[in-house]
Amino acid sequence: MYINIEEPTETISNDAMKVWRMSNTIGHLSAILIIAVLVLCSEKFGWYGWIGIVLYFLSGLFVVSAIFSIFIEPTYLQNTWRYNINQQFVQLKHGKWQEKHTLIPMEKVEYVRTEQGPIMRRYGLYNIEIGTTASNHIIPAIPSEEAKKLKAQIAVYAKLKDEDLAEGEKGA
Amino acid sequence: MTDGVKRYHPAFIAVELVSFLKGSIGFFLFLFILKATSTATWVIWGRYLFLIASVCTIFSIILKWYFHRYEIVGNSIVVYEGVYVKKQRSVALDRIHNQVSNATFVHRWFGLTSLTLETGTSGENARFNFPVITEKEKQQILLTLERREVSIEAVEEGKSSKRTIHFHSTKKDLVKASFTSLSFLAIFPLLTAVYFNLADFFQIEETAENALDYLLIHWWMLIVLFVLALALSVGIGFIKTSVKYGNYVISDDSERIYIEKGIGNFISFSIPKHRVQAVIVEQSILKRLLGLASIKLLSAGDDKGQETSSLYPFMPKHEAYRILQIMLPHYHIEENMNRFPFKVLWLKLIQPYYLTILVIIGLMIFKREWLWVAAIVFGLSILSRILDYWFTSYIRHGKTVQIRKGGFTNETFVTHRERIQQITVKHSWLQRKFGVATLVFTNKAKPLHESELYGVSKEEAGNFYNWYHTRSAS
Repeated sequence: MYINIEEPTETISNDAMKVWRMSNTIGHLSAILIIAVLVLCSEKFGWYGWIGIVLYFLSGLFVVSAIFSIFIEPTYLQNTWRYNINQQFVQLKHGKWQEKHTLIPMEKVEYVRTEQGPIMRRYGLYNIEIGTTASNHIIPAIPSEEAKKLKAQIAVYAKLKDEDLAEGEKGA
Repeated sequence: MTDGVKRYHPAFIAVELVSFLKGSIGFFLFLFILKATSTATWVIWGRYLFLIASVCTIFSIILKWYFHRYEIVGNSIVVYEGVYVKKQRSVALDRIHNQVSNATFVHRWFGLTSLTLETGTSGENARFNFPVITEKEKQQILLTLERREVSIEAVEEGKSSKRTIHFHSTKKDLVKASFTSLSFLAIFPLLTAVYFNLADFFQIEETAENALDYLLIHWWMLIVLFVLALALSVGIGFIKTSVKYGNYVISDDSERIYIEKGIGNFISFSIPKHRVQAVIVEQSILKRLLGLASIKLLSAGDDKGQETSSLYPFMPKHEAYRILQIMLPHYHIEENMNRFPFKVLWLKLIQPYYLTILVIIGLMIFKREWLWVAAIVFGLSILSRILDYWFTSYIRHGKTVQIRKGGFTNETFVTHRERIQQITVKHSWLQRKFGVATLVFTNKAKPLHESELYGVSKEEAGNFYNWYHTRSAS
């Protein structure tokens, strides 16, 4: 532990890794496919030379990023994602090389919702999105039962706090 | 309190017409004066289009006046808008964060004013605008507003005290302001613009060259002309500043802060004290030399572009601090702040120089003989990093956080734990090697105000996190 703080402890689902791998594979494959089509076009119709160069460069970038985001990133993201929710705070932590801790007071939470894509549905997972006044945060890949419970709980906590929001400076 | 649905004063039409004329005068000049002799198809079509558009706008202004209404019902304001698509919006009065009232020449001609109420939300419906209302109606709305607030928040304070004036700008202040704002330098781009525009039309290039030759020989004439131009621009600068900052009055009572300013175009702004999200003190190099400072009050319904929420921007620093201290005693600005440990400078210096790399790559490909530019870019990046290190400092005491950043312009930001919306503490691999971390915290404003601080020691980063974490327990 690098910084002396009380770190969140709840983990996300083990299937998160599989979900991310799958969706990143699909995303990168389609991007590379599009580039391949463009390369073919540029050769067939004799587009400007520099377009071809840029396309090759882009495809190189995509291959590197594919290796990173399919084989490397999901593992450590899944291993490092931690969250914690109590009456007063939402606590989030993720990242290995760049470790990021976020702390959101419950009374600033404006909405909470769950969302699920087709791949996540296969594994019965949900993303939980927590929205504050202007930004939003996503806790990824929570098993469906837990996700529903969490959503209800956050809603209750945030609602409870709404009464004494009053924005006043409580004797600062 | 219910006065029924109200329509705006008929001067609404005049005000809207004037603003429409202001917006379209450029087109008019272009189509009918500059291109008066032109018979090109697009110019003729343009004229017709312009006329049609004008007629449509005038009609829609009249219809707008006919259909737009507002109403105060209990503790909310309802606004009816729209000519074809009807829209009805309402807001609870206790949701309103601050208000701006702006009276242009036309408004004052009819003895009217305008009022904008800002709610703390974002999006197009965040503000309620009353483009033309009488002074009496405005007072009525404000009174309703204040009554609400008094009844909600200040019951224990008993009576709301009277307004005290803290600052009233004098002529001396204006002279100072007009020099500090450098508005007199505006004459140079103006002159060049005028010159090139005229040159296009009259082919003065040749005559001008002759005149220039003449002037170069009689150099004293050049000096006289220069001095004249400078005097003229100083005069213009002074008038501009007076119009904008003349009659600047800062006052407050126990609940709110009021800022009023402007000659001709009269703007007044007020914000409840408890809605102030943070205080920002800004000093440019020139202001630092002259010992001036501008203090801004950050509020949720405030656009960054507007200068309304700033206390008089050219006030002597100690005076500004004194006023701030009286009006918002919670916001104490600490002058002695500590720089980060020296190792942070090294950390900042060893980070990759992306801009320099980009410049090198670009020049390698396109202009190899200009490669020396990269060296300048590199030098500037190093300088900016050193300055960045030199001027960044941070202090936290009690419930207050204060950070200072900058280089040429330096900015001190003070806020309270209650005002911080969320925090993030992060540290990269490299930062861990140096034992430091980055703090990020956000404040409500429009757009969101995010403060990022790179290079806080890891102990303080932990303390900061815990400090924010334990807030509700206290």
